[in-house]
Parts: sequence; structure tokens; C-alpha cells
Amino acid sequence: MRRVAVTGMGVVSPLGNGASQAFAQARAGHSGVHCLQASFTDRLTAPLAATASFNGADHFEPPKLRMLDRVSQFALVAASQAVADARADFPQADRGRVGVFLGTGMGASQTSDDGYKTLYGDRSDRIKPFTVLMGMHNAPAAWIGIEHDLRGPALTYSTACSSSAVAIGEAWLRVAHGALDVAIAGGAEAPLTFGSLKAWEALHTLAAVDPVDPSCSCKPFSANRSGMVLGEGAAMLVLESWDHAVARGAPIHGEILGCGLATDVGHITRPSVEGQVAAMVAALQSASIEASAIDAINAHGTGTPANDAVETAAIKAVLGQRAYQVPISATKSMHGHLLGATAALECVLSLLAMQEGVALPTMHLQAPDPLCDLDCVANAAREGLTVHTMLSNSFAFGGTNAVLVLGSASRAPSSGWS
Amino acid sequence: MTTTYEQLCAILVRDYQLQPEALALTAPLEDLGIDSLGLAELLFNVEDELRITLPPEAVDLETVGDVVRYLDELIAKPLAGVATGMGLEQPARPSA
Repeated sequence: MRRVAVTGMGVVSPLGNGASQAFAQARAGHSGVHCLQASFTDRLTAPLAATASFNGADHFEPPKLRMLDRVSQFALVAASQAVADARADFPQADRGRVGVFLGTGMGASQTSDDGYKTLYGDRSDRIKPFTVLMGMHNAPAAWIGIEHDLRGPALTYSTACSSSAVAIGEAWLRVAHGALDVAIAGGAEAPLTFGSLKAWEALHTLAAVDPVDPSCSCKPFSANRSGMVLGEGAAMLVLESWDHAVARGAPIHGEILGCGLATDVGHITRPSVEGQVAAMVAALQSASIEASAIDAINAHGTGTPANDAVETAAIKAVLGQRAYQVPISATKSMHGHLLGATAALECVLSLLAMQEGVALPTMHLQAPDPLCDLDCVANAAREGLTVHTMLSNSFAFGGTNAVLVLGSASRAPSSGWS
Repeated sequence: MTTTYEQLCAILVRDYQLQPEALALTAPLEDLGIDSLGLAELLFNVEDELRITLPPEAVDLETVGDVVRYLDELIAKPLAGVATGMGLEQPARPSA
């Protein structure tokens, strides 16, 4: 097994574009949640969203833009940021040993919406020729491969809210085992379409609008939490073997230490303590570290009544008494739930938090819930910490639980690594 | 009287944001960012704009002039073309 460094990070998010900007916003406790301004807003029960400030025309020429769903646009821009950040112009690299691993839950929602509207709403029999190419789930990964001439595997993972954690974990495995030298890994999601929002609304998992300040509507771990807020964006990371990164003098932002996967089998949506514990334990085992080594956690922390209580119980089961001493951040309170992209964004924020010695805040935690009694870094970032090892939790509908173990760049390697 | 070329240029300027001076009849479509797949989409848009129906078969057209000639040849055919599978709902004779 080889150590796997993170050498590049790119972000398009409700907290801004670029990893540094998104991190600065999260550190300051700013929320990207607001009331959505769209033609269909009046048909939504709770018109909340966390939108990215993003115009595809700023990034792509029109002929190409016409072929890209918003989800592919996000993915391409985040990947280009990450490649540039990593200074990853690999002229001598074997491009067959560079892969793309991308998670997306909903894929090209706008393309699907547009096609259905044409056929069923407008009753037209003419559907755009690019509909299949824009709508296929693997389009974002494929476009990244085309854009950067990457000829190794380009794989797409769709495991709902854990999609990009799975993608990063799979990329980590390939690089750690030596099958690849470099991987571009992360996730993209663009679910803020009328059809998608109505579908989520029907599931009764979305937050109600905070009557005082809509930007405070997502309240993870708070007794008055009412649900999650959908967000959009992408986060992509460049992973490469530690030695490869050092040899080329690449910037090292941190390390992927491991990934654990486990599946709930009790219910299609209801989370289970057992499944979440199993994923965290598997993650620790994959990283060859003990639970006592965990300095902080980025929680799944969606703000739904079901998740946050179950996740609290699961963290206690894994960390024991130490659970009460570990800062736990629910950054979805600020950037919303980017579904298949959210784990990658939280991975980026966590790596930067370790680099800066910060525990990011769980905002809008107004009323502590007795069932969520851990240290959730309520309402303000905690500075001046030493954080070398973190868990980043992602628990999905469908039961695919994925937990990443992240290390700071300055963390001493455990004995298990070469 | 608006020609097919002018109508095509109007689409390329409006929807593809291309510069009019780049749209010479000899201009290769590839140089405009329109490959064979993009041509299929362009012709789809032309059908909407010119209110015609083109044959379903894929065509290989390399320049702006090729597209104009392809369209003009179809437009020039008699409406009987509909019955023979040419698919012209109505000729794209300029209406404005």
C-alpha cells in the first residue's frame, strides 16, 4: 500500500468558487442557503436552495456549452481548478495510469427535466439531439477525461448522498494499490430543477423556511431542525501517490488515509446506527488507526430529524467517551446538501480545516437536542487547534454508508504505510 | 428577401455566439466548434427556425456553404418530397 496525497482541490459551491473561498466562507459561518428565485418558486412548499454563483458561459464556448448539462459544467470547472492547483501538467506521465472517479446522485437533472417538459408538457415529438449525451450519468467524468487527456479508467459512482465519498475511496484504493499514479476524484450535482425539487419535497425531508432568516433554515443537531436544504456544485481533488507528489514537488494539502463502506439493509431511507458504525469501523481499519487517533469529524449532519440523532449514537458507539471531546462539524448548515457532490466538498473543507488548525462551525444550532449532545462546534469556528486526523461521514439513501479518513499534510505516517 | 445563408448565419450568431465575419461559405464547421455531432444539433435548430423537416439520415457536411447548399437543394424540391420521404412540411422560403 502506498500513501496517497491530495495535491489539488477545486470547488464550485454555494460558498463560492475555489477551495480557498469556500473554506473562508465556512470558517466565517456564512450561509449559502437562500430562497430560490425561479419561475417555479411559487409552486414549491419551501423554496429553499443553496445555489452556486456560476454562469457556464463564463467558462465554455457556446458550441461546447450546448453539450454540457449544468452538472458537467460544474465538474469540468472544479476539475480544472484542481488540476491547476496541483500543477498537474504531467508531460511525462503515462496517461493510462491517470483516472477519473466521479460521484453524482441525480446526474443531469436539467436535461431530464427539459426532455420531459418537451415530450409531456409541450406535447412535442422533437427532443434535442444531445439529450442522451447530456443526460447520461457518466458524462461529467467523460468530459473531464477528454478535457485533460486522461486515458485510465473514467468511472462514475451513484450512491445518492455518499456518491463522491465512494468515488474518492475508490480512487484512493487504485492509487494506494499502485494501479494508478494519479486520480482526479470527487463529485458534481445540479439538482435545483423544478422536477427534482418537487420530488425531494414529496419525500418530506426538506427544511422549512426559517421565519426570521431563510439562510438559517438548515439546523443540524438542533432540536428545532426540520430537514435538509438542497445545494448544487462540485468538488474535485487530485490524488496521487505520496512519492509521486514529492518527486515532482507538488503541493500537498493532506492525505487520504482510508475509506470504509457499509450498507444499511433495514430500510431504503431510514439510517441505522449499526450501518454507520460499521462504515466508521471499516474506515479506521482501512487506515490502520485506532478510534483514539481521530481528532475531529465532519459529520453527515444533514439537519433531518432521523439522521442527526442516529449519527450521534453511531459516533458514540465508535469513539466511546472520546466522542464528547472531538469537535464535530456539520458544514451542510452553510452549503446545504449537495447530494452526490457533498462528500467531496466536505473532504476539501476538512483538509483545509486541518491545514489551518480549525474546527468548522455547525451553524444555526439554536436549541441543543438531548439526543445530539456531542460537541458540535456550535455557531462559530474554533481556532487554534491541532487536527491531524479526521473522519468525514457520508450516509446515503439506499443505505450506502461511506466514511473517509483524512490526514493533515504534517501528520506523521502510521506504521502501516510504506 | 432573406436567403438560407442569412438565416443560417442568424442562428449561428444568436445561438452559437459566433462572429458574423467568421461565417464565410468556405468556413469549416469544425473551425466554428461544430463537429459531426454538433451538426446534428445545428440541423435540429435549423428545422425549428426554418419550420422544415429534414430527412432522418445523417449527412456529412463540412463547411457553412455545404449546409446552405444542402438546405437549398431540399427546399427547391417539390412538396411531393413529403410523400417520397423527403419530409418537407413546407418550403423554407423566406417569409420576411
